[in-house]
Amino acid sequence: MNLNITATIVFVGLFLFVTWVGFVAAHWRKADLNQLHEWGLGGRRFGTVVTWFLLGGDLYTAYTFIAVPALVYGVGAMGFFAVPYTIMIYPILFLVFPRLWAIAKKHGHVTAADYIRTRFNSRLLALAVALTGLLATMPYIALQLVGMEVVIGALGFPTEGFIGHIPLIIAFIVLAAFTYTSGLRAPALIAVVKDMLIFITIFAAIIIIPAKLGGYGAIFDAVPKAKLTLTPPVGQTLGGYSAYITLALGSACALFLYPHSMTGILSASSGRVIRRNAAALSAYSFVLGLIALLGYMAIAAGVDKNPLHAEGFARYGANFAVPALFLDMFPSWFTGVAFAAVAIGALVPAAIMSIACANLFTRNLYKEFWRRNCSDAEEARVAKIVSLVVKVGAVLFILAIPQSYAIQLQLLGGIWIIQLLPPILFGLFTRGFNANALLLGWATGTAVGTYMAATRGFVSSIYPLEFWGITIPGYAALYSVVLNVVVAAVLSPVFDRLWPSAGALDQTSNRR
Amino acid sequence: MASGDKAARDKKDGIWRYWPRFFLIIPFALVVWPPFYNRIEPTLVGIPFFYWYQLAAILLGAVVVMGVYVLERRQDSGPSDGPEAKGPPPPAGPGASS
Repeated sequence: MNLNITATIVFVGLFLFVTWVGFVAAHWRKADLNQLHEWGLGGRRFGTVVTWFLLGGDLYTAYTFIAVPALVYGVGAMGFFAVPYTIMIYPILFLVFPRLWAIAKKHGHVTAADYIRTRFNSRLLALAVALTGLLATMPYIALQLVGMEVVIGALGFPTEGFIGHIPLIIAFIVLAAFTYTSGLRAPALIAVVKDMLIFITIFAAIIIIPAKLGGYGAIFDAVPKAKLTLTPPVGQTLGGYSAYITLALGSACALFLYPHSMTGILSASSGRVIRRNAAALSAYSFVLGLIALLGYMAIAAGVDKNPLHAEGFARYGANFAVPALFLDMFPSWFTGVAFAAVAIGALVPAAIMSIACANLFTRNLYKEFWRRNCSDAEEARVAKIVSLVVKVGAVLFILAIPQSYAIQLQLLGGIWIIQLLPPILFGLFTRGFNANALLLGWATGTAVGTYMAATRGFVSSIYPLEFWGITIPGYAALYSVVLNVVVAAVLSPVFDRLWPSAGALDQTSNRR
Repeated sequence: MASGDKAARDKKDGIWRYWPRFFLIIPFALVVWPPFYNRIEPTLVGIPFFYWYQLAAILLGAVVVMGVYVLERRQDSGPSDGPEAKGPPPPAGPGASS
């Protein structure tokens, strides 16, 4: 591939602009960044609009923009599960998280594990929550790099050997530097730029591309019929139906348990801001639905038949479908804008994820187990350093290990993170659960979910559950969390009787 | 969802305080049954039903969540979970849905 000069100039220009924004952010709403809640939560002062951009930039990541249409391009209708998924997250956000926000604000909690620590007075359960969050987020950061790598490759940079990794390394040094100095303020401000670029790109795409391909009718006619709808149940199996809806529901339950979502939510200035955003964030879901359709546009445009793209598809697989589509359909300068949107779309969540990991490590491992009396300034300093370590780790991960491992680990991450649902949900809304029972439920769910993924060779999270002779293929995360809930519910009364004092809950912390 | 002292103030002030939230089942109901929307006809400007229905469901879901938010705001000054909600306690009016 030859370097696309015009697109590269636009791309680099936008990237430099965003870098400047990232450093300027330190002075935005100026406060003492040597306090963890200022550096890591933006002082909990983000209003409705900033929260909308921040959560939008946080949840709809670059990887989503590349992978969702790639899935639709590859498997068709099943890839559209992202749409019901994003429909279901908002009622959950509305019902559950303003309450968590209020408690976190009152007690100065920065992470979900902080909340669990106070609520159940259990160091072990809090540790489980913190470790799960860290393990599930690390591969997710690495995946943001995958999204970035695809567009850098599509610009025509050399991709061989160490030289090929230099653009990625530069991008991550920049990211690490402004996250270190500005904390959560940097991604919040950059998210505004990123979302503008994404919205411009997508609206241009859904107008220009169908016009060139002869309208939506022609696009869908070009897609093989079998891809257009889910496989209906045949014989003794529920086919695509159960997989589709369990994927959507399980992903929706898991989303806000991720540390980076939690960071975005806790940085809001009130519960009302969160509720308003539960409605307003749907705008991103709609855009995501349109982005998913780009997968079909890529099929209709026949991007895989263009010899110019052969190398890209060989290297990145279906993930190359959307970049190839943009290269074919847009003028060079606008391709630069679109690719910059994806790359900056990787920076925002990567920054928030590394901040979330830093918060978790500092609060729930460092302070909890090594330095109980560390000062606020020391706490913030450790968090800043950890945010650097996390990013170096993510880069090494991508450079040293095959990409497919990152994808498989992220798939496992979804199964692991959903196991935090019972402690957090039941912690917020019930009183009857015992900390040790929840811990065993967590262990069971994690083990069984991982086993289910292992039976599929870690390439798919759809587990064919046999139930009275009927096969119900479904999302392993959802199946395993059901087991988690059952274990926690059954063992809670038993444990309460056996060890009445253990896992006693702090009654004050599930109230507002 | 009755949070302690508030529920104690008025029995009816319990779960019914949050009645608009039952509408939040609608976004789930719209998409929970794939056999309903797993079809190509009727198409809309060439887009199969499966796709335009779910895109429309996003908008409907947003309208429902916004509606619930507005209803709760009307009902009282909302659950006291924000700095701006720290005014005098809302009147314990069961069904004060103006």
